[in-house]
Amino acid sequence: MDPPDSSLPRREFAKAAVALGGATGLAACLDRLGSESGTASESRPDTENESDPDTASELGSKGSPATTAVPTGDPTSVPERQHAWGAYVRGDEYGNAQLPRHQVLLYVTLDGDGPPTVDERDTVATALDTLDRAYAWRHDALLHSIAYSPAYFDRFEASLPDSVDLPPPRRLSDFEEPTFDTQDAVVHLASDRPDVLLEAEEALVGAGETANGVSVDAKLTDVATVDSRRTGFVGAGLPAANQDAAGIPDSEPVPEASPLFMGFEAGFRGNQATEDYVTIDDGPFAGGTTKTISNLRQRLDDWYGEQTFEERVAELFSPSHAEQGLVEGVGDTLGADSGIDAFLDDVPAKAREAGRIGHAQKAARANRDDDGNVRLLRRHFESTDDIGSDQRVASLHFPSLQREITAFEEVRRAMNGTDITRATPAVRQRVNNGILEYIFVRRRGNFLVPPRRHRALPTPRPDSGA
Amino acid sequence: MDRRQFLATTGALSALGFAGCGGDPAGETTDTPESGADGDDTPGSAATATGAPAETPLTSGSQTPTSAGMSTPDRPSGIYVQTFRERMSMQGTAATGDYAFALMFTVPHTFWTVTGGEFSKTAIEDGDSLHLMATVWDPETRTVLPETGLTVEITRDGSLVSQEVIYPMLSQPMGFHYGGNFSLDGDGTYAATLSVGGTTVRRTGAFASRFGEPASVEIPLAFTAATREAIATRPFDRGGEAGALRPMDASFPQSVVPAPGELPGTVRGEAMADDARFVVTTLPSSPAGVDGDGPYIAVSARTRYNSYVLPAMALDATLTRDGETVFEGPLRRTLDPDLRYHYGAAVDGVESGDELALSVATVPQVARHEGYETAFRQMGDVSVTF
Repeated sequence: MDPPDSSLPRREFAKAAVALGGATGLAACLDRLGSESGTASESRPDTENESDPDTASELGSKGSPATTAVPTGDPTSVPERQHAWGAYVRGDEYGNAQLPRHQVLLYVTLDGDGPPTVDERDTVATALDTLDRAYAWRHDALLHSIAYSPAYFDRFEASLPDSVDLPPPRRLSDFEEPTFDTQDAVVHLASDRPDVLLEAEEALVGAGETANGVSVDAKLTDVATVDSRRTGFVGAGLPAANQDAAGIPDSEPVPEASPLFMGFEAGFRGNQATEDYVTIDDGPFAGGTTKTISNLRQRLDDWYGEQTFEERVAELFSPSHAEQGLVEGVGDTLGADSGIDAFLDDVPAKAREAGRIGHAQKAARANRDDDGNVRLLRRHFESTDDIGSDQRVASLHFPSLQREITAFEEVRRAMNGTDITRATPAVRQRVNNGILEYIFVRRRGNFLVPPRRHRALPTPRPDSGA
Repeated sequence: MDRRQFLATTGALSALGFAGCGGDPAGETTDTPESGADGDDTPGSAATATGAPAETPLTSGSQTPTSAGMSTPDRPSGIYVQTFRERMSMQGTAATGDYAFALMFTVPHTFWTVTGGEFSKTAIEDGDSLHLMATVWDPETRTVLPETGLTVEITRDGSLVSQEVIYPMLSQPMGFHYGGNFSLDGDGTYAATLSVGGTTVRRTGAFASRFGEPASVEIPLAFTAATREAIATRPFDRGGEAGALRPMDASFPQSVVPAPGELPGTVRGEAMADDARFVVTTLPSSPAGVDGDGPYIAVSARTRYNSYVLPAMALDATLTRDGETVFEGPLRRTLDPDLRYHYGAAVDGVESGDELALSVATVPQVARHEGYETAFRQMGDVSVTF
């Protein structure tokens, strides 16, 4: 594939370089950095929101030369939880976490059959340690994790302990027919800097011989093969800059301020589980978590074309949000909480009255424990990946962390709103039923994110040596 | 795609002429609009014109030279004969598991969607290439299945062209179907993947364990000069009269529900509400799959003239006996092999002389093609005395 067009505006270029990946993507990124670092920021080819908190970190900009050194890492200071990202990313003024702007998912399959060998385990450990030494554990350097599928653990005779709830992926609605990701493992790389992201990926699975000056002595691809590479982005500006994709109307409706294609903020602090909450608290994998990753195709022609702003608010949040005018713009008026918990009483009656039900409203009904704690920690990001083709199609990668996969399944099933479709025929299987009309699940995989001490090809019973 | 079960499609491309479209090459029938079996339903007799409806009349088929509808017809408040005749292009059928599918298209159409009590006109947009229609039925009983949910994904040479949830709709020639206007990338052969969702409607009898799973089939879609030629529309001079075009002749099942005499149980009577005809029957015991083992009241709702199923209503019932209420509650949307799609509830008892009052809480949540957008909107309470 050809390298991205160097005349592209920065955000499109950054996204395109990450999507391309490999040595070509990295080289293009570095070329662009080199040329931009020699020019004044005024020559930036696109206009950007000056208050955007992270333009400084994206392929360079004023106040932050592109050639800014990336801090190297100290493996001894990296958190034991691989999913400990929250304290190391940017937050907005309300304390909502803002995930790294560029992300890559590498689905890998081990080359050998049966349980991995000690040598293979050592190779993976060395490869991952290299990343920790090369990059500081932070959003403008590198955050990463590796997680293992039920199919991986099937390589062993022993089974996972009861403290780990990791069923194989399955269908969770009456209408979806996803393909299941059953590769052995998935590596998640995230950075605000596309050049860092690509260099780290090259170190792990490519031809890179050094990573941020650190020598690469082992690669994941010494023992495994990348089966599927998926990429994406999140954060104000990027969806707007990359909305030239199938599934989004030609009118370019995605607001500049929106972190996501659908035009609203999501993942408010008050509506997310804490990292503590999703962490497995006993057994050999204590300190780990479980992770589902879905990929959803987005079809937003009717979302933007047939619906008013109020109807979008009603379907994404709740009809009451629309009636009471709680959401303005992309939703920053909501602060640190969507306020959805105020609208969970007698949802069927409300749906009968409004002829619609909100996505957040449905999901929240199952996304609270008995004490009112949120159960899922969602870390979704946008993409124009069309898995299996080179086409640019709007999609969403939807990683969700939870102590038990079952929690995700319960929330996802609640999103079907089946009880609401029985309560009123105005809410149909996918129409007037939250956002189900606009999203099509294509992939789903379930994974265990082990604590760091067991992140390299763990056995199902790592402390017992099984 | 490898997880989906695709079966070979049957049926070559063909143009389907609609009954009621006299003069077409197939020459099936005359121009006489279909009318109800009862003499008092003849066209015109019910034409209590109440002035132009809120929505302006549509024209269908902006691409075709003969798509003019009537400009300012006086339309009855109920069902009226659509103002154009049309032909469609049959693309194929396929079957897998519990489901059989047919795919066809005609010119882009205006239609009216319904959300609760709100109607919203979906106009033809620049760039719309066609109106795609799909029907889903049970290959065993040939029952057309409403309320399944249906998605169409259109690809060409492996590239995504479109993917949409398409809406349940009523049209005079087609009856109940799923439809939507689509924009294609010019002439050529496309692949349409039809995905049906498992229904959440209550199922009874032999249907109790069926139609709960999703399934997909792929049917080729030829959009060419030849297939477009087959779908021309022409104005119809009797458009606007009370009545409806007859159902089309087709190789696949129609969404027509059983005539009163063919319904199981004891037919107790019928009532009409804004051109929706409610036929009430009772069974001595409830079908398997219904909570409760008492007698069962079923209301079979159909369009006045063509007896097309009218699904997705919220219908409440009150049964009174000697002035006392003996049952009060919603009738549940239910799919049964004998009653077909109906609204039903188990009751403690049914006696001659009982009065069943029916109240429509939510009108049929099915989009309307021309001729139906003025019906099933203001559905007053009706009653039937047993």
